Amino acid sequence: MGAWLNESMTWGNAFVLFIWAVVFLLIVLGFVTYAIYYERKVIGWMQLRVGPNRVGPLGLLQTVADILKLLIKEDTIPRKADRLLFILAPALAFVPAFAVLAVIPYTEKLYFADLNVGLLYYVALSGITTLGMVLGGWASNNKYALLGGMRSAAQMISYEVPLVISVVGVVLLSGSLNLRTIVAAQGDWFWQWNFLPQIIGFVVFYIAAVSELNRTPFDLPEAESELVAGYHVEYSGFRFAFFMLAEYVYVYAIAALTTVLFLGGWHPPAPFLDFVPGLVWFLLKFVAVVFSFFWIRATFPRVRIDQLMGLGWKVLLPVALLNVFLTALYLELFVK
Amino acid sequence: MLSGMLQGLGVTLKSMTSPKVTTSYPDEPIHMPDRFRGIQHFIPELCIVCNQCARICPTDCITLTGKPNPDPEKRGKVIDTFDINFEICILCDLCTEVCPTEAIVMTNHFELATYSRDDLYKDAEWLTDNNTLVRKDNNNIGAPAKGGAK
Amino acid sequence: MIRTEELLLNVGPQHPSTHGVFRIVVKLDGEVITEATPVMGYLHRGTEKLAENLNYTQIIPYTDRMDYVSAMTNNYVLVHTVEKMMGLEVPLRAEFLRLIVMELQRVASHLVWWGTYLLDIGAMSPFLYAFRDREMIINLFNELCGARLTYNYMRVGGVKWDAPPGWMDKVEAFIPYMEKKLEEYDKLVSGNEIFLARIRGVGRYDADTAISYGLSGANLRCTGVKWDLRKEEPYSLYDRFEFDVPVGESGDCYDRYRIRLEEIRQSLRILKQAVAQFPKDGETMGKVPRAIRPPAGEAYVRIESPRGEIGCHIVSKGKAEPYRLKFRRPSFVNLGILPKLLVGETMTNLITILGGIDIVVGEVDC
Repeated sequence: MGAWLNESMTWGNAFVLFIWAVVFLLIVLGFVTYAIYYERKVIGWMQLRVGPNRVGPLGLLQTVADILKLLIKEDTIPRKADRLLFILAPALAFVPAFAVLAVIPYTEKLYFADLNVGLLYYVALSGITTLGMVLGGWASNNKYALLGGMRSAAQMISYEVPLVISVVGVVLLSGSLNLRTIVAAQGDWFWQWNFLPQIIGFVVFYIAAVSELNRTPFDLPEAESELVAGYHVEYSGFRFAFFMLAEYVYVYAIAALTTVLFLGGWHPPAPFLDFVPGLVWFLLKFVAVVFSFFWIRATFPRVRIDQLMGLGWKVLLPVALLNVFLTALYLELFVK
Repeated sequence: MLSGMLQGLGVTLKSMTSPKVTTSYPDEPIHMPDRFRGIQHFIPELCIVCNQCARICPTDCITLTGKPNPDPEKRGKVIDTFDINFEICILCDLCTEVCPTEAIVMTNHFELATYSRDDLYKDAEWLTDNNTLVRKDNNNIGAPAKGGAK
Repeated sequence: MIRTEELLLNVGPQHPSTHGVFRIVVKLDGEVITEATPVMGYLHRGTEKLAENLNYTQIIPYTDRMDYVSAMTNNYVLVHTVEKMMGLEVPLRAEFLRLIVMELQRVASHLVWWGTYLLDIGAMSPFLYAFRDREMIINLFNELCGARLTYNYMRVGGVKWDAPPGWMDKVEAFIPYMEKKLEEYDKLVSGNEIFLARIRGVGRYDADTAISYGLSGANLRCTGVKWDLRKEEPYSLYDRFEFDVPVGESGDCYDRYRIRLEEIRQSLRILKQAVAQFPKDGETMGKVPRAIRPPAGEAYVRIESPRGEIGCHIVSKGKAEPYRLKFRRPSFVNLGILPKLLVGETMTNLITILGGIDIVVGEVDC
């Protein structure tokens, strides 16, 4: 599939690519719809409830109904809001979320852009979403929203850095920033996947990733019990839906990235299991990672903003740096 | 280190398969215990127009009027109108507690929401027809007929 | 030189964590509070004034609506004050029933606190766990007196209802159930490192400050002052039972959290003894005159509600209605320390501290 991207850009090819993008967007929307359903069911069960079960069989259409409600809702813009930025912010938050998905490979054959700096592209683009949140918070002209936006900016700066550095170990091991090469470099047995040799990097990456997603226990920008809804407190209808969508598309992206970087992508856990298609293995790991996010959300309280900063700068960053040195040392002493 | 967080994760994971505590309420009705205090049932034949319920009501939501007994053989009054304003009734149970003849008793009906405030004025006819799930034990401890405070 | 501007933020009256319609006006420098002013009165219903035109039995349902999380203790403080003024004897069985429902109510009230506090801190699930177990108590009350929240159960001279058949067995069965669930609570939350980091050392004050602000309940005991009216001035039958008064050391939110969970355990301990000693039969209503008219004079009775010292002061002129009735509401008094406590804290700690004080707005505004 990636081969199309290397062909010369004719009108015909552009059209084909556009169609693929639309198909992919629909797949992602489908994922978001059922990720929300999955989350509500899992958290419901963990809270001794049954979760959504009213709309459609087993409540499967609940999210569809919710999205429909958001779409037909009145679009409100506060009078004192900065109109242009207020309208721009949700789009600015969503577009990068969708754009980062371009570099994620699903199997050996199924991938979109085969970028040689795929990892860098991912982290660079994902930072832009925070800009959307800060803008949204600022443009709302609401104090809670402003506080939420500021928190979001502070959190992004503190956690983007350890996130990037934590994957340097992986990059060192596989010698590439290309996500396909990184998967290929991971071994056949599951203990050869990066999450064990790079256990420090994996833990740092996971924590920083949850923080990047603004999910519990790092959901400070929207912190319901403190800031009511944080940066999107003034948003309603489809603008709010865009923020929501961006959040869940990032769940998709981060879960896929974790699978690719640390969990061996489409490799089966043992070589003799390779009769099962790679995509199935990928999806299984992917679903497990998504589940872990929901599981944590159902269990943990929220950290405080100063503790969040302290954890990011004083713990995660040094540990991530240490991981880089250890990996480099190992490569220098044993591999070279 | 971090054992507390892991223990918490264990509890939530175990809860996934434990029995659910929610009920499917509107689909399956909830049965309240007998003593439950729902909207009142009124039995005009028993009422002796003693006005005790209207006097004990903390929110003054009961208004009643009597008329002379149409049967010339009998003395006393019979009930003419009896209204409860459910905008302000707090279902405190005091009216049924003081009623000497158990003319006003509680039922187990608790679904009182209406679309119009006017529907919240319940008159004698409505209260008389509200004759299902009537509370069996009314324990009207204040009533003199049962020997006062027992 | 960077000049920063102060941000004036109205937290409430509509805010998820002010536990009702309550407002705090905070001045923020960044996220740090420089000044906090609680604004109350959004739920004021004039209970004390209304009471001047109601006879004593009619006031009982109004007390249900003060501290609506703990209606039984409110019932008790009113009827006990009247009983004290009139010198009434309450039958033993009725007194046992009162004590049992008050202790059940303390457990239910602390469960609500535990669940909502964790919700304030940002954890969703404990709220539902707490309400699952509170539902058991609510169902017991529903069976006993026919209401789930506003019980109107106690009367001057006794209680309205005797325990229905089998009710006491259900209470007995609830005690070990709840003890087991408390272990689950500890596993779920009490050891969680994030949670501990959030509440340890937050909202700290010492015993002198607590006493000078008139704090009571867990808010006082967290500073190490062993003051529980059930022990200090035993009312009802509390002198018959063995229980401990948990106290803290550092006076922070963590100690308040620990004390409240321990109080649930102690309440279960009292319940266990009370159920075992519950008299087989007897009256539930004492000899009460037809018209309740306390002699002219005044009386003040204070008891230990889940939130602290709740007091009732009645001035009677010998009529069926009180001349003046005043409730000392622990939530209201405990709030007094808030402006002092919040200065220098962050927005996040505001929620932690406010939740830790455990207010019920119905009682604050009365």
